[in-house]
Amino acid sequence: MAKKLTIGLGSGCIDKLTSVGVILSGAAADDMEVDVFVLLNAAGAFLQNKKVDFSCSGNQTAEEFQKSLDALSSPGWIEFFEMAKEMTSVKVYMCSLAGKVVGGEKKEDFIDLVDDICGIGEYITSIQEADVNLFI
Amino acid sequence: MTTEELQALNVDKSVDARGTACPGPLLAAKKAIGEIKSGQIMEVLSADEGTKRDIPKWAAKQGHEYLGTVEESGYFKIYMKKS
Repeated sequence: MAKKLTIGLGSGCIDKLTSVGVILSGAAADDMEVDVFVLLNAAGAFLQNKKVDFSCSGNQTAEEFQKSLDALSSPGWIEFFEMAKEMTSVKVYMCSLAGKVVGGEKKEDFIDLVDDICGIGEYITSIQEADVNLFI
Repeated sequence: MTTEELQALNVDKSVDARGTACPGPLLAAKKAIGEIKSGQIMEVLSADEGTKRDIPKWAAKQGHEYLGTVEESGYFKIYMKKS
C-alpha cells in the first residue's frame, strides 16, 4: 500500500507554499498518498480573487522570490501542486474555520486546487492514519 | 558498471532534464519510466547536483535497478533499468 503523508499548511507565505509544492513533487515521485490541510494563515493564498500579501519570505519580497524561481525555470507553487495532483493522489482540504476567516464558505470560493472543505476531525484522522506528518 | 559499459548501453529512453532545477529531473524521470517496458534502459540527463543522489535512491525505492552515473562536462547522465 502507498505510504501516506499528511501536511498541515499554516502559512500563506510564498516560501512555505513553494516548499510544500516541492515536497508534493517528491512525494508524487514516490507514489505517496498525500493530504494537505490548509490552516488559518494559509487560507488566503487559496482564495479565488485573492488579495494576499505573500511577502513574508524573510529576506526577499514575493516578487524577488518568484523572479529567482523563474530564472531557474522552476514552476510556481500552484503549478507544483497541479503537477503532483496529476501524478499521485493529493487531496487539498480547506479548514472551514480558516476559510471563514478569509471570507470563503464553500469550495467554489477557492481555487481549483482545493478539493473540499473540512473540519478539524478530518485533519486529526488524517494525522492518525499517516506514515509521515509535517506541519509547515 | 564501468563508465565504458554505461556508455555502450543501448538506451531505450533518454530524458533531457538539464533545463530544470530540483525537483524537475526527478519528476521527468518519474513520468518517463512509465513510458518504457520492464527490462528497458533509461538515461536521465541532469545538471542539478541534487539529482545525482536523488534519482539513484528513488530508483531503488521504486524497485528499478540503478546502473550508474557518467559525468559529462557541465552535466551528468544517470542510467537505470526498469523493473
